Amino acid sequence: MRDGGWLERVVSEVRRGWIPAGVYSDPEVFAAEVERVFGRAWVFLAHESEIPDPGDYVVRRVVHDSFIVVRDEHGEVRVLANVCRHRGMQVCRAERGNSSHFRCPYHGWTYRNTGDLVGVPFHEDAYGGDPHFDKSAFGLLSPPRVASYNGLVFASLDPSAPPLEDYLGGFRYYLDFYTRQSPAGLEVHGPQRWRVRANWKIGAENFCGDTYHTPHTHQSIAEIGLFGEHKASKRKEGALYFADRGGGTTYKLPPGGFRDRLRYVGYPDEMIDRMERTWSPAQKALVADAGFLVSAATLFPNLSFVHNWPRVREGGPPVPFISIRLWQPVGPTETEVYSWFAVDRLAPEEFKRESYRSYLLSFGTSGMFEQDDVENWTSITSVAGGRWARQIRLHNRMGLAHDGGLLRPPLAGWPGPGQAFQGFGEFNQRALLDLWCDAMVGAEEVARR
Amino acid sequence: MTDRGLTPEGWVRLDGRDPDYHAVVEFLHREAELLDARDWRGWLELLAGDVVYEMPVRVTRARSLEDSALVDMDHFREDRFTLEKRVERLETEYAWTEDPPSRTRHFVTNVRVFRLPDGDLVAKSYLLLFRSRGDTREPEWVSAERTDRLRRTDAALRLRHRRIVVDEAVLRTQNLAIFL
Repeated sequence: MRDGGWLERVVSEVRRGWIPAGVYSDPEVFAAEVERVFGRAWVFLAHESEIPDPGDYVVRRVVHDSFIVVRDEHGEVRVLANVCRHRGMQVCRAERGNSSHFRCPYHGWTYRNTGDLVGVPFHEDAYGGDPHFDKSAFGLLSPPRVASYNGLVFASLDPSAPPLEDYLGGFRYYLDFYTRQSPAGLEVHGPQRWRVRANWKIGAENFCGDTYHTPHTHQSIAEIGLFGEHKASKRKEGALYFADRGGGTTYKLPPGGFRDRLRYVGYPDEMIDRMERTWSPAQKALVADAGFLVSAATLFPNLSFVHNWPRVREGGPPVPFISIRLWQPVGPTETEVYSWFAVDRLAPEEFKRESYRSYLLSFGTSGMFEQDDVENWTSITSVAGGRWARQIRLHNRMGLAHDGGLLRPPLAGWPGPGQAFQGFGEFNQRALLDLWCDAMVGAEEVARR
Repeated sequence: MTDRGLTPEGWVRLDGRDPDYHAVVEFLHREAELLDARDWRGWLELLAGDVVYEMPVRVTRARSLEDSALVDMDHFREDRFTLEKRVERLETEYAWTEDPPSRTRHFVTNVRVFRLPDGDLVAKSYLLLFRSRGDTREPEWVSAERTDRLRRTDAALRLRHRRIVVDEAVLRTQNLAIFL
């Protein structure tokens, strides 16, 4: 049995850049995360382009809570708890489809795709009709908060969560590079889903800032000529940024203007034209003046993005792709990965095809980058749970001097919100885990600090 | 032989009296042996130059299995170039996910063979793939039906098209650093 202060002790270690290995496997840590992280944060459910037509739905989860994300007959996107108000039956057992109504298989209560309860068998005989049973009071419930940004639909189970845009804060600036390359926004395809024996935080941390692993973990991709940006010398020129609830990695692009640099990674001119018209001057400055282009990123707690540009044909040019992925916790040592291919809706068809090829080759279930990542993460999880190993303090202090000060100052003149550093460092992993610490010890504890 | 709608128009189902039936079964067995022996170069030789190798994502839908294979998302959609790159990667010293290597067993059963009007052969088979990694991890399984189109060239059969319809919507294998 643990005493009351154990979680606070874990958190104080993590805040100093020392991660007790047990946080990647401990059932009590996980139980606290379900309440304090996933019970409060804005959690990604779906992209609106997955449900383009009235009646289209997908079923998604916030850890163990099942929700139907549906476009109703008026075109409005709704999030409905997948739980019949009568006896708790799962009203929708498919994972996607199109339906005007959801009928509970148990006793036949029927809900419109707005959530309204419209059919109760034997309403008169069984319930005494309208005077005794008001159907309007028993619609499918919605989570306390639902909102979307650039088509990304989020829910929060916390009624007092801040507005989504405030939650995203400065990270919106970066999110637009992935999700708004034109006013039309993204179309997403998928997801591929698979379960891995790894803790959900490991992927989230990796995507938000681990440029240090690229030259080593992904050396095979470089060796076969699929990716030109692998070299450590190249990767450490990239900047790491973090703003409010999320952060990510970038690559430093060769000299040139906005257009030259986006051509360099493989964007066709008509897409560059739209980016030029869509992004703000401050956003364009990241590419044009600072010379950085976003790569992987994570929004706390478990939504990640990747933007990369491998070669997909012999001697061919690089082809950029975007992937959205969710690290959906199943348990302390198991995660369901949802991985979508995303592309600007107005991109030329030829680009969409090549970009999809680029995605499949590198990320997702069969992706050659991802394969080696997952092997690392399952292996970490499997050894982190030992009775003795779980107290080993893992080193999350790259970029810090022995006394805890910074080895290098933040980048001056960075055009985006938040802070950025050039070179290798675990700035972002620490920032992400700081958010985790804030959630785990609660707002009162944070206020006291 | 009638298949009550399971055999498309123009396909002729072959039985054990036809030598092509045995050639196809032997092809599948030989292929499984090469894959389990990690002889990927030998495996690539079984593929035609214009091979298409696809594995759509499967989803759970209401009422019917008809639309359960997505048309816009795959686990694999490969051609000769991408399959060769995958093999090349596995041959490097840095393909960590297969080092130490998985021990795999491709169980191929329920083989049905058809001849098409243009002379190509179609093999439908059930596949149960067992994958064991490390010493103590839970083994991983992938169950699927494969539909293969084969052509006879230079007296040998070559795979022109493989469609793998997996039975799980959520794969329970850590990745597809393997071939099915």
